[in-house]
Amino acid sequence: MTYLIPLIPLLPLAGFVVTGLLGRQMGRESHQIAVWAVAASWAVAMVVAFAALAHGFGIGDGAGITLWNWIPALGFKAEMGFYVDALTGCLLIVVTTIGMLVHIYSIGYMAHDPGKWRFFAYLNLFMFSMLLLVLADNFLLVFAGWELVGLCSYLLIGFWYPRRSAAVAAKKAFLVNRIGDMGFALAIMAIWTQLGTLNMQAVFKLVEGGGLSSTWIAVVALLLFCGAVGKSAQFPLHVWLPDAMEGPTPVSALIHAATMVNAGVYLVARCNPIFGAAPGVMVVVAAIGIFTAVLAASIAFTQTDIKRVLAYSTISQLGYMFAALGVGAWTAAIFHLMSHGFFKGLLFLGSGSVIHAVGDEQDMRKMGGLARKIPITYVTMLIGSVAIAGVPPLAGFFSKDEILGGAFKSGFLWVWAIGFVVAGMTAFYMFRLMGMTFWGPSHVDPEVEQHIHESPTTMTRPLILLAIPAAALGLLIGFPPESGLLHQWLAPVFEATIAAGGRTEAAYSFFGIDGGLAIVTTGLVAIAIIAAWRLFGVDMPAIGLHAEPRPDQVREVSARRGLDFLYRGSAAKWWFDDLNNLLFVVWGGRLAGAVWWFDRVVIDGTVNGVGTVTTQAGLRLRRVQTGHVQNYALGIAIGLIAMALGYFLIAVR
Amino acid sequence: MSGSLDSYLVLSGLLFAIGTFGFLARRNAISMLMSIELMLNAVNLTVVAFGAFVPALKTHAAVIALLVIAVAAAEATVGLALVMAIYRNRKTPLVDEYDSMSE
Repeated sequence: MTYLIPLIPLLPLAGFVVTGLLGRQMGRESHQIAVWAVAASWAVAMVVAFAALAHGFGIGDGAGITLWNWIPALGFKAEMGFYVDALTGCLLIVVTTIGMLVHIYSIGYMAHDPGKWRFFAYLNLFMFSMLLLVLADNFLLVFAGWELVGLCSYLLIGFWYPRRSAAVAAKKAFLVNRIGDMGFALAIMAIWTQLGTLNMQAVFKLVEGGGLSSTWIAVVALLLFCGAVGKSAQFPLHVWLPDAMEGPTPVSALIHAATMVNAGVYLVARCNPIFGAAPGVMVVVAAIGIFTAVLAASIAFTQTDIKRVLAYSTISQLGYMFAALGVGAWTAAIFHLMSHGFFKGLLFLGSGSVIHAVGDEQDMRKMGGLARKIPITYVTMLIGSVAIAGVPPLAGFFSKDEILGGAFKSGFLWVWAIGFVVAGMTAFYMFRLMGMTFWGPSHVDPEVEQHIHESPTTMTRPLILLAIPAAALGLLIGFPPESGLLHQWLAPVFEATIAAGGRTEAAYSFFGIDGGLAIVTTGLVAIAIIAAWRLFGVDMPAIGLHAEPRPDQVREVSARRGLDFLYRGSAAKWWFDDLNNLLFVVWGGRLAGAVWWFDRVVIDGTVNGVGTVTTQAGLRLRRVQTGHVQNYALGIAIGLIAMALGYFLIAVR
Repeated sequence: MSGSLDSYLVLSGLLFAIGTFGFLARRNAISMLMSIELMLNAVNLTVVAFGAFVPALKTHAAVIALLVIAVAAAEATVGLALVMAIYRNRKTPLVDEYDSMSE
C-alpha cells in the first residue's frame, strides 16, 4: 500500500508542471489537466486514507516510504520520505476532497479570466505543497511544504496583481507568515542540534524516551507553536488572513479557510508527544487559541464585507482548534478541523457564488433578499451556517461540543467559559451574514438586480457535495460522542500522549455533565440565532418567527457610552492594523531610514573614501614616474646615501 | 701619505663620487656608461688597496678584482649594445629624450 503514497503529491505536481508550461497554449481548456490530476490524486488519497483509518492494508498504525536520501551531508541527513497514519488520513480526506471540489468550482468561477491557466497551475502547486506538508516524514520536508504553501498563498492572494490592494495583501500575508516560519525554522534547528535527527517518528520516540530535557522540550514546543500561529493566523499574527480575501474566492475557500490554515493545527497535533511533554506550553496554546477565538468573533460582528466576516469566523474557529489542542482534546481538535474544513469551504464557495450573482459586489449592505433568486446557493449556505453555528445534529455541533466538553472536563474552566460565549457569538454573526445577504429587503443596485442568476452547475454541484459532509459528518464520524469512528481512528495517534499526561477523563455521559453542557450551549446558540433573526431576518408567521429589523435601534444601542467603544473597536478590528502600521510601517520605517542613512553615509562613505583616496594618491604619485632613467638613478643614489647615513648614525656611534 | 691605505681610499672615494655625478648629470648615454666604468674602477681600486695592505686578504682581493673587471667588460658590452639599439631607434644619444615610459 505504501508505494501508492508518492502518487498523491506527484499527480498535482505533474499537473502543475504541464499546466504551468503549456497552459497558455491550451486556451479555454487549460483547466482540464489540472482538474484531472487532482481528481486522480483524490482517488489515490481516498484509498490510502481509508487504509490508514482502518489501521490495516499494509499501513497499520502508521507506515512510511523513503524514496531517496534528499540531503546527504556529513552527519546531516534529511530523507525524501512519506509517512501515513490515521492523522495523515484525516488530513488527506479534507485536503484532497475540498481541493478537488474547489478545482471543479473554479472551472465555472474563473471561466472568463484570461489568467485561468495560471490560476489552475497555482492551485495544483498548492495541492502538491499541502500534500507534501501533510505526508512528509521529517521536519525539513514538512518545512519545505510549509514554505511552498506560503508561496502559493502569496501567488494566489496576489493573483489579480494589477489591483494594488491585492498586491499589498499578498505581500502582507507573506511577510506575516515569515515571522511564524522563523520560529518553525528555529525549532527544526533546535531539534537537530539536540537530538541529531529530523525524522518525526524518531524524534517523538526520543522525546518520549526522555532524550530531551524539559527546558528544551518547552523551547521546541514554543517555537513550533510560533510557526503554527503564523500559518493558522492566530493572535498576534492573525492580521494577514482577512486581507488574504483579496484573492479569488475559490482560493479563499481552499487555502485561507479549509486547508492551508489548518497546517498549524496539524503541526501541533502531529507533534503531540512534544507538546504533551510541555504542559506549560499547552496552557499558552490554549490561551492564545481561545483569546483569538473571542477576538476574531467580536470583529466578525461588525464587518460588512461578506468574505471578511467569513475570514474572521475562520480565525475564530481556528482559535477553537488551538484551544482544544491546548487542553489536550487532540481528537476534538482534528474533528473540528475536518468539520470546519467542509462547512467553511462550503460557506466560502457559497459566498463566491453570491458575489458572482450580484456582479462582484462583496458589501453585504448592498445585498439582501437573495434567497429566492439563488436558491441552491441559499440552501447550501444555510446548511453551512447552521453547521458552523452548532445546531444539532450538524457537524459543527458535535465537534464544538467535544471541544467545550474537553475543556470543561480537563479543568480548563476559563477556556470553556470563553468558548461557550464564542459559540453564541458565532451563531449570531453567521445569521447576521445570512440575514443581510439572503433575507429582508433587497439593497442590490437595481441595474445589477436584473442580471442576478444562479451560478453554473460546475459551481453549484461542489456546493451541494460540500453541504452533505457539512451536515452529516458529525453524525457519521462523531457519533456517539467521544467514542465515534473518528475517536477509534485517531486513538493510536494520541493514546501515548494522553496516557503520559496522566489525566483520565470521565467517560461521556449524556445524562451527566456532557449532556448538560451540550444543552446549555445549544440553548445559547438558539438565543443567538433568534436574536440575529429578530434584527436581520424576515417575518415567518407560519413557524412563529417575527423579525423586526431596526437598524436605528441597533445604532442607538451601539452608540451608548461604553457600548460605542465596543462597536468602534470591533469595526476597527481592535486597531491591530493601525498598531502594526504604527509599530512597523511608521516607526520601523524611521528605523530603516536611520539605518539607510548610516549605510549611505558611514559604510558607503568609508568604502568610497578608500577608493577616492587611492585614486587621488595615484594621480599625484604618477608624476614621480617620469620615465627618465636619471631620475630613478638619482632616487637610488639618494636612498643609498640615506642608508649609509642611517648606518653611521645608528650602528656606528 | 703615499704609503698609507687612507690615500687609496680617498682617491677611490673621489673617483666613485665623480662617476656617480657623471652618471646622474650627463645626458649622453655613452658618457653615462663611462661614468659606470669609473665607479666600477673606483671600487676595484678599493679592493686592490685592501689586498695590498691587509695580508690576509691578498688572494681574495685579486680574485674579486678580476671578477669585477670581467663583469665590467660584460656590462660595457651589453650597455653599449643597448645604447646602439636605442640610438638607431630614436636617433639621439640623449637619455632625457628616452621618455616613452612616462605617463
